[in-house]
Amino acid sequence: MSPELEKCSRSLLVCEKSNFTKEKSRYDIHVSKHYFNYKVSIVIPECASLPASIAGVINSFNSYYRVRDLPIYKLLEEEFLEKVVKKGQFYALSYNTRIDEDNTIAFLPSGQLILSVDKDTYEQLGLEGKPSQYKHRKVLRYVVTIDLTDKLMSPGAKRYQRLITSLKEWVPIKCDLMISSKMTAAEEDGGVLQNLLSQYSFEEHRPTLHTHTLKEMPCPSLHSTDRHGDEKSCDPHHFLEWLGAVSMDISSDNEASSFLSTYVCPDPQSLMSHGLLCTVTGFLIPEDIYSLLLELRRYFDEPKFTSWLSMTVHGFVDSPVSWGTTEHGFLKSGENFYNFVCFRNQDYWLHMATGSHDGCPP
Amino acid sequence: MEEPAAFERLVYKNASNFHYMKICLVLENGSRNIEAAQFKQLIVSGLRQLYGEVGAAFPFDLLKFDPGTLTGILRVYNSGLVKLWSALTLIGSYQNELCAVRVTQVSPFLLALSGNSRELELDQASPTGEKLLLT
Amino acid sequence: MVCKMAMFMDLNVNFTKDKKTLQNIIETAAHLGYSTVAINYTLESQQKKPEIPKPTSISDLFTKLPVVQGRSRPIRVLSRLTVVATDPSHFRPNAEYKAFDLVAVFPKTEKLFHAACMTFEVDIICVTVTEKQPFHFKRAPVNGAIDRGVFFEIVYTPAIRDSTMRRYTIGNSLGLMETCKGKGVILSSGAEKPLELRGPYDIANLGLVFGLSEGDAKAAVSTNCRSVVLNGETRTTAFGIIRTMKKPPPAPTASEEDKSEERENSAAKRAKMEH
Repeated sequence: MSPELEKCSRSLLVCEKSNFTKEKSRYDIHVSKHYFNYKVSIVIPECASLPASIAGVINSFNSYYRVRDLPIYKLLEEEFLEKVVKKGQFYALSYNTRIDEDNTIAFLPSGQLILSVDKDTYEQLGLEGKPSQYKHRKVLRYVVTIDLTDKLMSPGAKRYQRLITSLKEWVPIKCDLMISSKMTAAEEDGGVLQNLLSQYSFEEHRPTLHTHTLKEMPCPSLHSTDRHGDEKSCDPHHFLEWLGAVSMDISSDNEASSFLSTYVCPDPQSLMSHGLLCTVTGFLIPEDIYSLLLELRRYFDEPKFTSWLSMTVHGFVDSPVSWGTTEHGFLKSGENFYNFVCFRNQDYWLHMATGSHDGCPP
Repeated sequence: MEEPAAFERLVYKNASNFHYMKICLVLENGSRNIEAAQFKQLIVSGLRQLYGEVGAAFPFDLLKFDPGTLTGILRVYNSGLVKLWSALTLIGSYQNELCAVRVTQVSPFLLALSGNSRELELDQASPTGEKLLLT
Repeated sequence: MVCKMAMFMDLNVNFTKDKKTLQNIIETAAHLGYSTVAINYTLESQQKKPEIPKPTSISDLFTKLPVVQGRSRPIRVLSRLTVVATDPSHFRPNAEYKAFDLVAVFPKTEKLFHAACMTFEVDIICVTVTEKQPFHFKRAPVNGAIDRGVFFEIVYTPAIRDSTMRRYTIGNSLGLMETCKGKGVILSSGAEKPLELRGPYDIANLGLVFGLSEGDAKAAVSTNCRSVVLNGETRTTAFGIIRTMKKPPPAPTASEEDKSEERENSAAKRAKMEH
């Protein structure tokens, strides 16, 4: 039988262990560089209901906008560029576009514009870009990355003019966008974003919260100081699998001989009498996720029955980037997610995962 | 209190043993109740048809099955993914009724199946589940 | 956003007079994530007086085309004519063929297969999947077709319907792949019912069973189909009409390193040379 039938595409998992209080820890950078987040999910063992302080943080998550058929050059016009895009904390990602099929656009909070486009569009745009890393036989997708904070890109400059002409006249790209801006929330942009949105069809969305109480179930025992290969805790893949099982209400009450499923909770395990599963869905910005992480760390300020809790953050599968400007693609899946296990003593494990069309997580 | 952990970074490549699939059975005459065991049997016979006894023998798990919506989650060894998937694709009937197995997501991480942004629906309210729209 | 890249396509859903079924098939295709489908009309030339069908107008089928799943755009519906040929006289490109966006030929003999690969003015050559391949896939015609930008089509529905057909489908595909090395292949459904359609990623995976590599298999439901559609557009517009293009097409004698460009524009060239 053909060896192709036994192969499967590559996946990567980066595991970090450290302590939040260590200066050298880069956990905050990993959070802030994962720009486009679709869902955050928290698991707290031995917790019956969402603590008010955590609910408070989630309630203060930024709203986001969905705007229809917005010409991209509108976001590059001088006033908008200066007062919103370049001020930072501005996030935009095309909605209802697929990275393996369609033209996809993203504005990063670092002031970069990413256009991941097909060959025809690329040639018509006349902007400098690179062939997509994820090509087959011939290059059909190009990625144009424009640093809007570059002096040569400031309004009036030649290159800026060229960009506007490209997107306004040569290829007037329009698309649906999800937009979130911390500046707008703080009303520091002088209403520029609201003003722009009001010229198009748009609506404001709030992140959606679901909470679910987990019933009595086995739960892996984790020890923060375990090194790879130690037997005290289960390995990262088994732990992440267990989290997945918990998130989707998959039973681990099986035997090796069961017909339907042989899935069991990894060893060593203990019995969790109950637990909390809480998810927030939407177009979530890293600043909000970071505040949630800070609040989760404070969970251990008071004595608790559990020694750990977990937070998982799923990226958008159709984003043109995963972490920073690392190109992200979709072969048969487009996973890019990370997970923190926070321990009582402020130790943490960080798991960062990507699929086949993606760079290695930072 | 334990000593703070020393910094450690490990990179695993293809270290997951499994792939996971989110699937749904669609029947010509609409939904009817099918039990998990029957559903798994349907898949096993699909494997047998395409890959013979060896195919029918290779292990996979039906981690979850909802008889109401006929949706399920499968777990399979990496080496069996292509075969299991192709067998699902070629299943065309269940008890003499036309059917199709729709595969909605595939990933080497089970956790990824709980956060698929292609399910983000901004045009209408999200379907089920305990929901609280934040204000 | 106008975009013609790697979108998923099913270039063969069977025409049926049953409007409801046809609508259902197209709706299902859109729901499964196909951005383009082609309704296939078959011309069985063995009949005494074969009558070339006329493609149904899309507005007769839908007042509003179904939206592609997870996208803001409607599905694109093309028309396709497949000429089943047992004799060279069966394939006569004429004005009636031009009413279709795509033209395919199903050659039943080795001689016709050779002619289809080397000279016929077509976009697609159908590969037998319902019986054992009656002749060998020879390197010369297969490469000839690939160089001309004509694609080989394998339909997968018979493999769903029947286990004997399944063996033929897989066997004949593997035979083709030995010769074409995975190049120049498209996979389509040939569906007559909505439940016979499968999703694009399912078919990309099924392609591995048919002997394609992972990349070639995904291309067989996306980028290769795009080339077929572009070829079709060029063919229908190239007879005496000059197509306005934003960039000039490359010179007819493309260099060796420019193989990909050559391939993509071969239909244009073909048309030009005849013209």
